[in-house]
Amino acid sequence: MIEADVAIIGGGPGGYVCGIRAAQLGLKTVVIEADRLGGECVNYGCIPSKSLITVSKLVDKVKEAEKYGLKTSGVSVDFVQLQKWKGEVISRLVGGIELLLKGYHATILKGEAEVVSKDRVIVTTDRGREEVTCKNLVFATGTRTSSLPGLEFDGDLVIGSKEGLDLKSAPTRLMVVGGGAIGLEFASMFQKLGSAITIVEIMEQLLPGSDLDLVRVVHRKLEAHGAKIYLKSKVLRIDKKGSEATVEVETPEGKISVEVDKILVSVGRKPRTEKLNLPALGVMTDPRGYITTDSRMQTNVPGVYAIGDVRGPPLLEHKASREGMVAAEVIAGMPSAADWKVIPDAVFCDPEVASVGLTEAKAVEAGYKVKRSRFQFAALGRALAAGEPEGFVKVISNESDGLVLGVQIVGPEASDLISEVALAIEMGATVDDIALTIHPHPTFPEAIMEAAESAAGRPIHQLKT
Amino acid sequence: MTYQFKLPDIGEGVAEGEILKWMANVGDQIKEDQPLVEIMTDKVNVQLPAPRTGKVLQILAKEGEVAKVGQTIMIIDDGSGDAQPPAATDIAPQTAAPPQPQQSAPSQSVLATPATRRLARELGVDISLVKGSGAQGRITDDDVKRFSSGPSTGPSTVAIQGPRPAAHGPGPREELVPLRGVRKTISERMLKSLQTTAQVTHVDEADMTELVLLREAFKGSAEKRGVHLTFIPFIIKALVPALKEFPYVNSSLDEQAGNIVLKKYYNIGIATDTEQGLVVPVVRDVDRKDIFDLAGEIEILADKARKGQLTLDEVRGGTFTITNVGAIGGLFATPIVNVPEVAILGLHKIAKRPVVRDGKVEVRDTTYFSLSFDHRVVDGAYAARFTSRVIETVQDTKKLLSEVL
Repeated sequence: MIEADVAIIGGGPGGYVCGIRAAQLGLKTVVIEADRLGGECVNYGCIPSKSLITVSKLVDKVKEAEKYGLKTSGVSVDFVQLQKWKGEVISRLVGGIELLLKGYHATILKGEAEVVSKDRVIVTTDRGREEVTCKNLVFATGTRTSSLPGLEFDGDLVIGSKEGLDLKSAPTRLMVVGGGAIGLEFASMFQKLGSAITIVEIMEQLLPGSDLDLVRVVHRKLEAHGAKIYLKSKVLRIDKKGSEATVEVETPEGKISVEVDKILVSVGRKPRTEKLNLPALGVMTDPRGYITTDSRMQTNVPGVYAIGDVRGPPLLEHKASREGMVAAEVIAGMPSAADWKVIPDAVFCDPEVASVGLTEAKAVEAGYKVKRSRFQFAALGRALAAGEPEGFVKVISNESDGLVLGVQIVGPEASDLISEVALAIEMGATVDDIALTIHPHPTFPEAIMEAAESAAGRPIHQLKT
Repeated sequence: MTYQFKLPDIGEGVAEGEILKWMANVGDQIKEDQPLVEIMTDKVNVQLPAPRTGKVLQILAKEGEVAKVGQTIMIIDDGSGDAQPPAATDIAPQTAAPPQPQQSAPSQSVLATPATRRLARELGVDISLVKGSGAQGRITDDDVKRFSSGPSTGPSTVAIQGPRPAAHGPGPREELVPLRGVRKTISERMLKSLQTTAQVTHVDEADMTELVLLREAFKGSAEKRGVHLTFIPFIIKALVPALKEFPYVNSSLDEQAGNIVLKKYYNIGIATDTEQGLVVPVVRDVDRKDIFDLAGEIEILADKARKGQLTLDEVRGGTFTITNVGAIGGLFATPIVNVPEVAILGLHKIAKRPVVRDGKVEVRDTTYFSLSFDHRVVDGAYAARFTSRVIETVQDTKKLLSEVL
């Protein structure tokens, strides 16, 4: 039997970070993981997809090499080697997590956890059943892919994101059902790797909820490279014939049939709580099944915490890990809480889309008198020199005092650029603060400075509007 | 759907209450009946339970504010309608708060860096109450520290009220303690008592020798019943016949109606010293209880008083008050009448003192009884006779025995 101050169920980005911080704070910590440390993000999500996306971008660059005077004899992808390399990246990260946990003297238990009570968990490991008694219990079990009725995963023709990252070749014709963040990343990536793409999205835009100005850039680029995008549409029927299928799609213009080799369904995720014994513990969930907590990650049951995806959207790695730190600190008696103002997000489609804070629409809705300013990457030296002139930076600020309310970026390295703005918002910066901060030249972040200059009424590299 | 949590009618005569402590923050999930807020009324602190299960959307009456009965003090999302399920983004404070007109920054968007916000949490400061001294109202670390050590009005008050600490060497020469809670109530009530009544104190001496023996005799049987027997239950029992004989001591003056209300029930308040200050739990219908019942009840009430768990019912409806400073020492004090009552009896240290009895000096256990009374209702002679009657009973064990059981 293991006695612990904290037992954490789930070794994903929420759980392992919680484990490290708890152990650092001197708590006797057990991290229980049924599959692989690092969870969805490291093993089946962010990391493997970014590995493949990086390569797909290289392929794309090589394809247009001639434009830059680069002579190549074509490009082909060795998927076996690609997958091997991707596996190495993952293994290295998983190994690192294990080293860190052990280095801080946290105990790692590999096996399925069964919650008996809030202070007792049974873990079925490959060496038998291990009993853990704990003073505090942290649920960090994350979410799993949801399927659609009639579009159930078969592991071959109809697949989810996890299988999509393990493919042995790029499908000739790929249908992506669900045009959210995951769907778009797959669409952009496989388009570059040679697949003919069809996207079916039930809402009236891709990346529902995102600023349409940004989405339009991605939408156009996908279409420009041959993708067929059906909005306000849904899959009615699939006729499987061997390794291919005919999919009937209902679009606003009527029913159509699409021949495909793979269907990747990315229509959302649902909380993984089945084995947590929540009703018996009396832990409250919301109508969608996410565990409800206060800003200190505490559920309604004292001593029971929830962090990360299982606590509810946005389903993001960086939110999970920060919540993990908060939970560990609260358990250690520190006055921590989720008091961040914003959680940035990034979508690795092409071009990348990233945003933080309020969109223009949300700011107006919240009652601000909004000032909007933009800067196009087409006017930025670095973007032209990189051959990536698409997209723009959009700064939303409060007209009266210039307070930065939100920034949306579509364009090269948007995912990296957004951090500067997240810091600005957390610090309560104004557009002047950003504009007056010297950004090195020639770099992509200059676009943010230029947009801020524009918001402050003194643009240099664009004409005053 | 949102539910407006209004300050309920806590009990007779309570029109308002000061919010002492919220036990949930904005964004927290609360469960029906969980303790939600501590309210200080003019009589006692009460804990109010959550009226609904749901999520706290807004706290309208901040700690330290006085709310009227019926005023909405919190808005709760009880999840009954199309309310949004909670997500991290709604729990976390957002910049998305609607701005207030005429203000440069929306009120709920706190302009402070993450590190300053953490400092506020560490110091237990609600940062939304802090006035920022920086550009556009930015809250600095110093603002938070100043708020934490001073009254809630912020830096300017500190500057006006006291010299800047730095001018006087290492530590501040004065410390500012906000007048709140029990302290505030005591201060208001004591002043009211002295300003609205005509108080006189009458002091007399009592020979406690026999009572000391009597108490010893009863101690064993009290312990068997699991109660600790002090002198107070005996005094209370000695008070009952005197209060019956001198009904104006057990009365109150209704000035508006122009009546003196003579009370035919005997509810004795016991002034109790607690960490927060003086509170007065009331033992009801003492004429119908024996000393063991009284001793047990007093013990429970005193314990609740110290833990701040008294209910409103346990502190109201008193008709006469006893205050005992004997354990601390001194000769005698002149207590202040617990209005709207008319009189209060001060009990003091019992000590061996020389007493002249039948022409001889003897060593006896004696004490002083001091009765403060409202001269508007009771005259000096009446009060003196009342006190004599109490002392007579205390000194006459036979008579007292017929009363105590």
